Amino acid sequence: MNNVQGTGIQGTGPIRPATPVRVVIVDDHAIFRSGLKADLSESIQVVGEAATVEQAIAVIAQERPEVVLLDVHLPGGLGGGGREVIAGSASLLATTKFLALSVSDAAEDVVSVIRAGARGYVTKTISGAEITDAVFRVAGGDAVFSPRLAGFVLDAFGTAPADIADDELDRLSARELEVMRLIARGYSYKEVAKELFISIKTVETHVSAVLRKLQLSSRHELTKWAAERRLL
Amino acid sequence: MTTALTRPPLVRSSDRVIAGVCAGLAAHLGWPVKSVRIGMALATLAGGAGLAFYAWLWIMVPTADESARRNARRPASPIAPAVSLDPAFSAGPHSAAPSQGSPAAAPWWGNPDAGAFAPGGVSGGPAAGYGSSYGAPVRPPWFRVRSMRYGKEIMLGAGLLLVAGIMIARLLGVDVPLETLIPAAAVLGGAAIAWMQLDETRRAGLVDKTKADQAGGWARLAAGLALVVAGVLVMVSGSGSWEQTWLALLASVSVLGGVVLVLLPWALKFWRDLETERAGRIRETERAEIAAHLHDSVLQTLALIQRRAGNEHDVVRLARAQERELRSWLFQDPGKEAGQLSDRIKAVGAEVEDSLGNAVEVVSVGDTAMTESHEALVQASREAMLNASRHGGGTVSVYLEVSDGRTEIFIKDRGPGFDLQEVPEDRLGVRESIIGRMKRHGGSASITSTPNGTEVRLGMPALQPENAEGKS
Repeated sequence: MNNVQGTGIQGTGPIRPATPVRVVIVDDHAIFRSGLKADLSESIQVVGEAATVEQAIAVIAQERPEVVLLDVHLPGGLGGGGREVIAGSASLLATTKFLALSVSDAAEDVVSVIRAGARGYVTKTISGAEITDAVFRVAGGDAVFSPRLAGFVLDAFGTAPADIADDELDRLSARELEVMRLIARGYSYKEVAKELFISIKTVETHVSAVLRKLQLSSRHELTKWAAERRLL
Repeated sequence: MTTALTRPPLVRSSDRVIAGVCAGLAAHLGWPVKSVRIGMALATLAGGAGLAFYAWLWIMVPTADESARRNARRPASPIAPAVSLDPAFSAGPHSAAPSQGSPAAAPWWGNPDAGAFAPGGVSGGPAAGYGSSYGAPVRPPWFRVRSMRYGKEIMLGAGLLLVAGIMIARLLGVDVPLETLIPAAAVLGGAAIAWMQLDETRRAGLVDKTKADQAGGWARLAAGLALVVAGVLVMVSGSGSWEQTWLALLASVSVLGGVVLVLLPWALKFWRDLETERAGRIRETERAEIAAHLHDSVLQTLALIQRRAGNEHDVVRLARAQERELRSWLFQDPGKEAGQLSDRIKAVGAEVEDSLGNAVEVVSVGDTAMTESHEALVQASREAMLNASRHGGGTVSVYLEVSDGRTEIFIKDRGPGFDLQEVPEDRLGVRESIIGRMKRHGGSASITSTPNGTEVRLGMPALQPENAEGKS
């Protein structure tokens, strides 16, 4: 589960662990927190809540949850929102996974929190079942890409496959592009696997690799793309 | 004075030898460039008249770029309003101009020569239609408008006339005290140059324009200052020796320096206060705009939602529509060109969402300008979205990708699926509106349907590569 590559432990769909997944919800809207809590399945145990950057860092350090559901926009701290929470909990990143949750689908919000270290991003409008699914996936070490995030990735990395000579961090491989395209088209991991005749585990590997590139790449176009959208 | 309406506006051409004046003039008058240049050279021989005319045009006529830029914003040149088709002029009862409504004519300009370059006002021909939008209040008698708006030209003209008068007087043998007149003129001219940029339009321009323009402003200020100082020096030194003048100059500079040193902190403080106040005002305006927007949209929707709380379908629909509207307002990229393909697809998605109630999520990568075949693509995707929303009964995923000019759209739903072969021949939705339409416009369409959902794929090859803006 701590595999950085995030290949998951079982490799078939969302993993339903024997013990409940311990989760902290960080969001400044109490209404949203309680709504989300009610929506999550019983196999998710909400062990803490926080409304500001400082509270979040404190609660995460104290509870050491497996997954943090993290709103991108948060009051407090230095104004960095979710990004700052992740930075403040950097020492826990090996055991605690962050799933960004945002009402905003602006590229700068999403990509900045992903680059800070979040393992995935979902919009607040998705259903409780989908969020539960995403929590299991992130807890299992996988990345969670919404169609929109896949769209951002394709936009940032370009839609042409990598040459062999390219720095591997700076481009997506042909297979990764295919996976991203299918996710952008609304395919679930399972459907992607079926469409490409590969295993779900392989899909997860590809998605995790893309996430890693998104987080680490200093590709010229990516920085330019980010600068144009005022991310840097 | 009646001139052809179709005449291109007088702007300095980029095809230039010195400043593009002759080429621009030739284009404007419809004469060959060569003859204009020769004429200008000949006129220069005639006592430098051509040189003066050239310099005048150089100063007063904008380049094509400037013209376009200013046209988009406002009439910057004081000459422009005189020649634009301003209702205040053409309809004015006092208008003495026989050629009402001709944008190329300068109704009040007595000098026929002026008519030649008057249309060169930045917003000559093409902007004529905008005349009324910036025209000062149409009500006041036009002579008042004129005296306020063209005061600068009138003053300049009067100054030139004065100079001409003095020269003629000298030729006729009248003794004119040039020794005092020239310095005085220098002082006046310098002050005029320096103050000219305090003029409202210049100030507006300086605020939001590039540094280059600001540099120009500083240069003008420096030039004006130099003129004034030189004028004063000449005037003062006329009454005493140079030595005394230098001493006096030194003394005054030291005094000035001391005064500046003492007053600087105050000036800085005032400046900062002014800046803070201005920033505050800008924030206030922004806040007011946001408040107005929220009131017009979000509050109204919330009221509607309360009144329809019983109807879940309506509430969801209203909330989605409001969310979409707010999103487009908040996250819209102002630098992005409007009316591109992705905007159209999003608009169509919104429309489908509104009419059928199921969410339509549009993800787009790359973008391209709309063409006729892209419009067909939009219509075909609309049909596909309608089908997906109607029969799929859940969220519809739409993915648009433009890459090297090639456009692909995928519309996916999670409904029970259908078999194209079993669709009755008379149902035209899929066959005609999607597949047929795409084929007619050189595109392709395919439909994959499984019990877990249906996906429509539409493709349009790159027809006009120059329109391609897709990322590669």
